[in-house]
Amino acid sequence: MEHPDNDSHNRELDALFAEYKAALPDPEPTSNFMPYLWRRIEARQNLLFRMKRLTQFFVAAAAAICILFATMMSVPNRPESNGSYVDVLARAYPAENLASHGILLDEADTK
Amino acid sequence: MLVEFELIQKAQAGDGAAFNQVVVAYRKRILGTIARLIGRPEDVEDVAQEVFLRLYYSLDQLRTPEVFEPWLYRLTVNASYDYLRKQRRRNEARMSDLSEQQVMMADAAAGGKVSHEEKRLKQVKDLVEALLGSVSEQDRILLTLKEVEGLSLKELEKIYGVNENALKVRLFRARQRVLNAFEAAQKSVGPKPVERKG
Repeated sequence: MEHPDNDSHNRELDALFAEYKAALPDPEPTSNFMPYLWRRIEARQNLLFRMKRLTQFFVAAAAAICILFATMMSVPNRPESNGSYVDVLARAYPAENLASHGILLDEADTK
Repeated sequence: MLVEFELIQKAQAGDGAAFNQVVVAYRKRILGTIARLIGRPEDVEDVAQEVFLRLYYSLDQLRTPEVFEPWLYRLTVNASYDYLRKQRRRNEARMSDLSEQQVMMADAAAGGKVSHEEKRLKQVKDLVEALLGSVSEQDRILLTLKEVEGLSLKELEKIYGVNENALKVRLFRARQRVLNAFEAAQKSVGPKPVERKG
């Protein structure tokens, strides 16, 4: 059972809430309500449209970069870069060119 | 329902004129609810526009037109809650900038310009605002919908999507807190602030 004081406070609180509702009746909307609402809707629409365009641009740029990297990876390496350092030097300075500088190679070296 | 189901379906299909009619039908009721939920008349239209803006962009998610009203109330509750949360942060910052004397002077200046009846209504409004300030924003909204707007537990159940028992517990606790604050206010003031009618 509720305390009588508590019960009376409950009733007073109910009355206070009822008065609060009376003190704040439903306000009439101003004449600007609908125009401003549509302006906000359009502003949001424009923002969404711009974000969509920006997203599309980034997706396209990312796809282009992926394709570029994939192409670079798939192109075969040049044959000159194959082999060891000594092989590359031997190809760059053939034995006949070295002879003009007075460097003679043994038969065993040329094989 | 204030509008026909067909009108809501047309608005869902992107018919701007139908959406306009839905807004015109509900705006006064929503404005009133927001006015009592947030307690700041100057910001009511702004919050109501936010509600209808959210409605416009989420209308396609509404499965059945039958749940339109609870759903509109849920959007109203969410927008009001967002507003109250922002407002509290702003108020904390603003009040910390003012000295106690400045606040009292501002209150006195505001009080001197209104008639007796307006002053009484302002007292009621201020008292309820202060009492509702003793609970969280969520509980304030729930309590206002139940006690001031007069929504039933069934309606609240649809709006919040939780069962009736959970709502009853939350409402009881929130009301107890407000009641305690009310008793404390009466003890400190002395005479009863509410003029009983009839």
